[in-house]
Amino acid sequence: MSSYFRRVEDKDFDFLEKLCGSGNVSTAEEDLVTNAIDAQLGGFHKPEVVVWPENSEQVAEILSYADRNRIPVYPRGGGTGLTGTVPVYRGIVINLKRMNRIIEVDEDDMQVRVQPGMVYDNLNKELERYGLFFPPDPSSGASCTVGGMVASNASGLKAVKYGTTREYVLGFEAAFPKDGLLRLGTKTFKYSLGFDMVKMMVGSQGTLGVFTEISLRLRPLPESMATAASFFKSIVDANKTIYSIVRRGLDVAALEFIDRPTMDAISEFRNIKFPDAEAMLLIETHGSAKAAAEELERCISVVRENGGFEIWHATSKEERERLWAARKGAYPAVLKLGRYTLISDVIIPLSHLVESVNKAYEIGKKYGVRTSCMGHFGDGNLHVNWGTDGSVEDLHRANDELNRWVISIGGAVSGEHGIGTEKKRYMKLQHGVSFKMMLKIKKLLDPNFILVPGIIFELEDLLGTSG
Amino acid sequence: MSKKDVLEELLGDYLNDVLKCVRCGFCNSVCPTSNASFSYKDSKTSRGRIVLLQAKYNGVLQIPIESDEFQELIDICFGCRRCLEVCPASVRIPQVIWRAKSAGPMRLNKLLLANYGEFEKLGATFSPLSNLLVKSGFGRSILEAVAGIDQRAPFPTFHGSSLERYIRKRQGGAGSRGRLAYFIDVFTNYHEVDLGKKTVQLLEEMGYSVEAPRQKEAGTLALECGALDNAIKIARFNVDSFYESVRRGARIITTSPAAYVAMKIDYPELLGDEKSRIVADNTLDVIELLLNEYDGGVVGFVDQDDGEAVYHHSCFTKASHLTGHVKRLLDLAGYRLVEFEECCGVAGVWGLSKKHYEEAKEIGSKLFAKIVQAGLPVFSQSETCRLQLRHHTGTEVKHPLEGVLDRIRVRRT
Repeated sequence: MSSYFRRVEDKDFDFLEKLCGSGNVSTAEEDLVTNAIDAQLGGFHKPEVVVWPENSEQVAEILSYADRNRIPVYPRGGGTGLTGTVPVYRGIVINLKRMNRIIEVDEDDMQVRVQPGMVYDNLNKELERYGLFFPPDPSSGASCTVGGMVASNASGLKAVKYGTTREYVLGFEAAFPKDGLLRLGTKTFKYSLGFDMVKMMVGSQGTLGVFTEISLRLRPLPESMATAASFFKSIVDANKTIYSIVRRGLDVAALEFIDRPTMDAISEFRNIKFPDAEAMLLIETHGSAKAAAEELERCISVVRENGGFEIWHATSKEERERLWAARKGAYPAVLKLGRYTLISDVIIPLSHLVESVNKAYEIGKKYGVRTSCMGHFGDGNLHVNWGTDGSVEDLHRANDELNRWVISIGGAVSGEHGIGTEKKRYMKLQHGVSFKMMLKIKKLLDPNFILVPGIIFELEDLLGTSG
Repeated sequence: MSKKDVLEELLGDYLNDVLKCVRCGFCNSVCPTSNASFSYKDSKTSRGRIVLLQAKYNGVLQIPIESDEFQELIDICFGCRRCLEVCPASVRIPQVIWRAKSAGPMRLNKLLLANYGEFEKLGATFSPLSNLLVKSGFGRSILEAVAGIDQRAPFPTFHGSSLERYIRKRQGGAGSRGRLAYFIDVFTNYHEVDLGKKTVQLLEEMGYSVEAPRQKEAGTLALECGALDNAIKIARFNVDSFYESVRRGARIITTSPAAYVAMKIDYPELLGDEKSRIVADNTLDVIELLLNEYDGGVVGFVDQDDGEAVYHHSCFTKASHLTGHVKRLLDLAGYRLVEFEECCGVAGVWGLSKKHYEEAKEIGSKLFAKIVQAGLPVFSQSETCRLQLRHHTGTEVKHPLEGVLDRIRVRRT
């Protein structure tokens, strides 16, 4: 560990206990290990202390104290991240689970103000009564928190229509190491006000500040949804269909690609029998009942033009939910590929979609790892799942080759999971000259680099930053 | 032995379940205890418990599994099995936790729970004296001191005679429609005997011969407290006994979801032999049987619309996958159902214990409020859920069969 940071001492514990109450601070082993890991394939990185603040002021006090004493701080939401956002330099974990309330639903202005520890699905359950929802819909919605979503600019199945979390963040209150609590943003859906500090903070994975309240734009719940699954004998045909649907500007709310190994895993988990096909597409449209049905039919026409040979229409809410449960059950595909598994999150320029799936298979073969693909292909987001019973290093080698290829064709190494510790090695390659600008911004807001050191940026890169 | 070896010996095949958990946290989203206010610490959640075991395996957690400290952490899991429905990696979380609990010390209250069938039998044998005792302040303070049952918690009344005895007295030759071996479990056997009697009478009217083979309790509590050896002995006894009935051509029936889950799921898993699988394949709940007979035209329902009623999805009904059947039966009997899926917090005796009484009350509080607000008759299939809901809402809560049996008419035998 770096000697740059000071270790947590008894006096620091006393400070935290006095600030947050004795039940809200712990150095107990069980609390350290359960805050030492997320959902990424990686090891345990135990913090030295965990604190559960109950309000914004406490978060700000902790940051200010940690800054004065040069102690690393790692905010934590649902702990469902897939990129290893863990306390690699130990220090303090600020667990935001106790800050999990809706502060205000502004029904007239269609927005909500919420604390960062609120679980995504719980928020949408509460919003249902207003006929509103927060759309990004990550697959981890049952357990991820709004704070974590904003920190990683999460999205998911519906991003092709509704966009990512960033499009919904109107503003926030955040704690900064030097500047205390600040409120940023407006209540309006558009503005032209110079630098957009709000959008810059979204996706920064805790490197610039800790969100303590978040204002989100909401959408009206769609009046109606139409959903269908279709099947293809070839991956190429499936991907041509996706491209045509997007190119023709058809208004899809979801356009999901699932390959054969993933379908097999779903069959096993959800007890669904699929036709003999190499690929499956799940298509959903939203709008009035008439508009959703008509738009879906237009999509189905494209499916047929491209050789889709079987169409499953969801004719009831239950059937629709069953189809989506099948898609969300695709996660086991990752798990059944081997004792060790790794999931990639690349995002591909649309013209390379067809090629990308075959490229992934080719790389998997090269490194002797099992490979399956699924993704939100309407927006080019491909999840390649690698698995092996042998060496974890083979998974990383395969993933590394894919990531470098994706950057070379103009894509990005992360569509929705973020960088964490896992992908920081690609930051310079991905961002080029702007990487240095990021380091400068980081230094401006967090000059002692106490916020999530080792996440997104290497500490050494930060320490070498001038200006 | 290394830490890995110790864990492997304790968990056996279930170690793979621990290792394949990807920590997605879906289990937390449905786990009743993981969403209570006391569970803001990850170590007190469903995922946290598996992470603790992963940490043990990786050598980053020093707390011994057999220590009180570790056992306190995993004691929060009360085995509702809701996690099994959502885990994308099919991690058998409750089964892992039973095995982790089995490393803990055998204390008096655990010993009592592990052998609760014997104590229930004693209670029934000495009723009404035992009823007087468990209703008295003195009796309750003893129950609290010895078994850990909170003095405020509801305790069911012992019936004078067991259902087993009632059935054995009536036992005759093979009915025209075949033989049914009733796996009763203690609650119906000693406390809700009348429900069992009415069920038996209907089945006999339908042309079945009902028998009560020698049997012990389902063993759910033994599993929940980690008394695995006891649970396996109980499973062995029940499987051997009911296997003989099956061999002689009987099918096995249950009315308790705990009994059903034990026969269908737990015993084959605990014993892993052919006998237990045969027994499981031949087990069905009376509700399933009644629906089959309705579909076959053997029984019908009195045409009656009794308005709305609340159907509470008990954790064990969910685990047994009988929810759809129960709803269909109530619907056929003329009830329009308002469904509440929340857990009541009791989970066998977990929520009745002094240690968890208040926590269980908090877990069930939303459900209690909804039931009170609904002001409707309530049905719930699980025994202790009914106790808990009555206790905290003051509402009468019945087994679905209690609302249905009088409305069934046998059309042909």
